Amino acid sequence: MTDRQKYIRNFSIIAHIDHGKSTLADRILEKTETVAVRDMEEQILDNMDLERERGITIKARAIRLAYKAKDGEEYVYNLIDTPGHVDFGYEVSRSLKACEGALLVVDATQGVEAQTLANAYLAIDNDLEILPVINKIDLASADVEGARREIEDIIGIPAEDCPAVSAKCGLNIEDVLEKIVTDIPAPEGDPTAPLKALIFDSHYDPYLGVVVYVRVLDGEMRAGDKIRLMAQGTEFELFEVGTMEPFGLKRQDSLSAGEVGYFTASIKTVGDTRVGDTVTHADRPADEALPGFREVHPMVYSGIYPADGARYGDLRDALEKLQLNDASLVFEPETSVALGFGFRCGFLGLLHMEIIEERLEREFNLDLITTAPSVIYKVELRGGEVVMIDNPSKFPSPDEISVAYEPIMKANIITPTDYIGGIMDLCQERRGVFVDMKYIDTERAEIHYEMPLNEIIYDFFDALKSRTKGYASLDYELKGYKQSKLVKLDFMLNGEVVDALSFIVFEDRAYGRARKIAEKLKENIPRQLFEIPIQATIGSKIIARETVKAMRKDVLAKCYGGDITRKKKLLEKQKEGKKKMRKLGSVEVTPEAFMAVLRLDDEG
Amino acid sequence: MMRADGIGLYIHLPFCVRKCAYCDFCSFAGVDGSIISEYADALASEILSYRERGFKVDTVFFGGGTPSLLSPEDFRKIMRAVRESFLLSDEAEITLEANPKTLDRNKLEAFVASGVNRISLGLQSIHENELKTLGRIHSYSEFLETYRLCREAGIDNVNVDLMYGLPGQTVESFKETLRAVIDLSPEHISVYGLILEEGTPLYEKQSTLSFPSEDCEYEMYLLADRHLSRAGYCHYEISNYSRAGKESRHNLKYWRCEEYIGVGVSAHSYLDGYRFGRTQSLTEYLRDNREYLNKEYIDRDGEALEKIMLGLRLREGISLKEYEDLFGFDLTEKYREKLITFEKMGYARIFSGRLSLTAEGFYVSNYIINELTEST
Repeated sequence: MTDRQKYIRNFSIIAHIDHGKSTLADRILEKTETVAVRDMEEQILDNMDLERERGITIKARAIRLAYKAKDGEEYVYNLIDTPGHVDFGYEVSRSLKACEGALLVVDATQGVEAQTLANAYLAIDNDLEILPVINKIDLASADVEGARREIEDIIGIPAEDCPAVSAKCGLNIEDVLEKIVTDIPAPEGDPTAPLKALIFDSHYDPYLGVVVYVRVLDGEMRAGDKIRLMAQGTEFELFEVGTMEPFGLKRQDSLSAGEVGYFTASIKTVGDTRVGDTVTHADRPADEALPGFREVHPMVYSGIYPADGARYGDLRDALEKLQLNDASLVFEPETSVALGFGFRCGFLGLLHMEIIEERLEREFNLDLITTAPSVIYKVELRGGEVVMIDNPSKFPSPDEISVAYEPIMKANIITPTDYIGGIMDLCQERRGVFVDMKYIDTERAEIHYEMPLNEIIYDFFDALKSRTKGYASLDYELKGYKQSKLVKLDFMLNGEVVDALSFIVFEDRAYGRARKIAEKLKENIPRQLFEIPIQATIGSKIIARETVKAMRKDVLAKCYGGDITRKKKLLEKQKEGKKKMRKLGSVEVTPEAFMAVLRLDDEG
Repeated sequence: MMRADGIGLYIHLPFCVRKCAYCDFCSFAGVDGSIISEYADALASEILSYRERGFKVDTVFFGGGTPSLLSPEDFRKIMRAVRESFLLSDEAEITLEANPKTLDRNKLEAFVASGVNRISLGLQSIHENELKTLGRIHSYSEFLETYRLCREAGIDNVNVDLMYGLPGQTVESFKETLRAVIDLSPEHISVYGLILEEGTPLYEKQSTLSFPSEDCEYEMYLLADRHLSRAGYCHYEISNYSRAGKESRHNLKYWRCEEYIGVGVSAHSYLDGYRFGRTQSLTEYLRDNREYLNKEYIDRDGEALEKIMLGLRLREGISLKEYEDLFGFDLTEKYREKLITFEKMGYARIFSGRLSLTAEGFYVSNYIINELTEST
C-alpha cells in the first residue's frame, strides 16, 4: 500500500428512508470544513429540487473531503452517496463496490427498518466494513440502547461503541469522523498493475459531455490515456481526469489505485457507459473485468402521452434530455388508437416512474396522460414460441396462450406487531404467498412474502401505508417468473375497444376490478348526445357493464340582444372545456379517466 | 352584418314593481315616478343622438323591466323622439312588454294611440303556487283581466310568456297551463325553461325547493312542442311559438344577425359591424348615456360563428348557399361526418338547401353549435 493510499477512506452512507442520511452527509461536509457553514445549503448532495422535496437521493453522487484527524494526519475522505430506494438497488450495489466501508445510519426513534436491513446486507455482501451510526438522539422518543440492541440482534454487527449523534444539531459528528479513520480500512490495490477502475455513476454535462465517476482499484489513469470499457468493448481517449470537490470538478494529473474521481472522454450519452463496467487501458488491459456487472433492465412499463398531441416532439426531447443522465430510463415510440402518438417507457420501479413523470411535468412543463403501469409478462404461445409482453395491448388472446408467467418478487415488510394481521390480509388479497415471519423484538416483526409484481405496482405501497398508519416499510426484489392465470381486460366505450385502458390481470381478480373501473369511467365521461355503454371484456366475453346516460339539456333558453355577447362567452367556455377532452372514437373522455385505471382504493 | 330594409330599435325600461325571484335582468324595483320621468328624458336624448344617421326603423321593442309601468306622458315623449330620429315605417311592429296589474284601460288606450300594436304579457303559469314561488305580483285571474283589456283595446298581436321547470311544477300542471293558454288563442307564445341564475333569490334557496327532474323537464319541453304545434303554432325558435306570420319581427332580427339599436341601461346594439352595450348603472346612465361598453368589432370569423350560433336557434335554420357565399366554405363539407350523425339521431335536418335543428336538437343546441363551430 502506498502512502497516498494509507490516508484515503472511501465510504458511503446507507440508511432507511428518512433516517437522516443526507443530513449526516451535510454535517460531515460542514465538520470537515470543506463547505463553509455560511455557504451550506441544506443537503448539498441532493442537488435536484425533487430530491430535496422528497428527501430522497435519486442519483448517486460522490464528493472528496479533507479531514485533519486527531492523529495529526490529513485524510482524504471520498463520500459516495447512494440512492436510498429499492428501485435503484443495482446502482446502490455498484456504489458500495467503490467503497471499503459504509456508515449505517439508524434512526434512534425508529430502529432497524426494511431498507436498513436490505442495505446492510448489501454492504455485507460487498465485504464492506460497516460502521453503525445512531441518529436523531436529540429527539425525546430516541431509544439509543434499543437501537444498539437491534443493530446487534437483527443485523448481527457489534454496536457497543458506535457513535450516537444528532445530525440535525451537529452533535457528536467528530466521533463519526474519527471512527472513519480507525474503523474503515484504507484502500488496497496496486498502482503499477494494469488499470482496473469501476464505473459507479455518470452524468451528462453540456460542456464536458459525459462525466464518468470511477473508483480506481488497480493501476493509474491520466489524461491522454487510451482506455477501454470492458463490458461495452468500446475505446476512448481520456480528455481529463480529476476529483469531485463540493463545489465542482477539479482537474488532477492522475487517479491511481484507491482513489475516487471522474474522467471525461468523447462520450456522447450516459447510455454509452454502464454502471458496473470496468475501465482499463487499451494497450495494457487487465486480464479480466471486475465481477458483478449486469445490464439493468426495466421492471415496470407505462405508456406516456402528451395531453396535447401537438407536443409529441417536446415530449421526445424531454425524454431524451432525461435519458442523458439516466441510462435506466428506456423509451420507444408507440401509438395508441385512443391517445395518439406517445412513448412506451420502461422504469426500474414505481418510484422511478413517478420521478420521471414528475420531472417531465415540472421541468418540461408537459401535461401527460399515463397509462396503467405494466410489468413484463412471459407468454408461451400454442406454437411453442415464447414472447415477453411489456404492453397490455400486445397481450395474446386467451386461445393463443399455452402458458403465461408473471414476475414474482420477494417482499420483505417490517412492521409494528399491531399491524401484522392487517398486513397478512393485504398480502393475501394481493396473492402473496407467506414465506416466514420473524419477531425483531416484542414490538416489531419482519414478514416475508412472495408476491406478484403485478400486485405490488397496483397501489400496494399506498395500501400498506394506509393499513399501518405509515409504520410499515417495504423492500422487494425479483425472485423469478411463475406460471399464472392471466387475462387481458379490455374496455369498450360505445362498442369500441380503447387500447390505452387495457391491462393484464389475474383471472380471479378480473371481475371485481372490471366492475370498479367501469364505475370510475362512468364518473369521468361527461354526458354526450347519445347513451354510451361501457363494457369490460375478456376476449369476447363481457364481464362488467355501465352506461353513461345521454345528455338531456344543453340550451340557452333566452337569447336576445345583450345575450348574444353572453352566449358567445358561454360557448367559448364550453369550447375550453372541450379542448381538454380526449376523443376516443366517438366518445369524449376527461383526461382523468385514464387515472381511473391507475388508482383504485385499498381493497383493489 | 346585414342591413335589412329597416333596423330594429330596442328600448330598455329597467323598472319593476317588484323583482321576480328568478330574474337577473337589469331592473330596479320601487323606483320613484320622477326618476322614471328623468330616465325617459335620458332615453329620448339617446334616441335623438341617432337623428343624423337617418335610419329606417321597422320594429320597436319596449322591454324590461316592466315598460308598462311608464306613464302615458313619458311613453309619448319617447315615441316622439323615435319618430323624430328615425324613419318609422307605417307597418312597424311596436311591442310593449307588460305585466298584469300594471295596465288599465286608459293607459292601454294611450299606448295604442302612441303606436303600440303588439303586447307581450308575462304569465308564466296559471297556478297560484307556482306564481308565488316565482315571486310574480299577479294572479291568473288578474292576467285574464289584462288579456281581455288588450283585446278590447284592439291589440291583435299578443304574446304570452310561459315557463317550465319550475319548483313544484309537474308535467300535469304544465299541461293545464298550456291548455288554458291555447284556449285563449294568443298570436304568439314564448315558453322558457327556467334557468337558475346566480345571485337571484331562487338560486340562493334552490336547495330548499323541489325541482322537476331532468327527464321531467324534457318531457315538459316536448309537451309544449307537441301541444302547441297541434294547436297551430309554429315552433319557430328554441323558446318561441307563433301563428303563421305572427313571429316577433323584432326578435327575428337578432337571430338573423341583422342590425339593431338598443337604448337605455344595459341595452346592446349591433350597428356598423360593432356590438356594444350601455352601462348597467342607472345613475351612470342618467349622467352619460353615450358611453360604450364592451365595444367589439365582429369580423368575418365572428360573423361566421354568430350566423351558426344564432341561425340554428331558428326553425328556418341557415341557408347553406347563402352561408357559403358569405364565408367561402360549405358547412356540409366541413362538418360532413357530424352532420350525418346529428341527422341520424334526429337532431338536425338538411332540407331544401337549409340546415336546421329539430325540436329535439334545439334542446341540446349548445352542444351542436359547439360541434359546428370548431375552428371559427
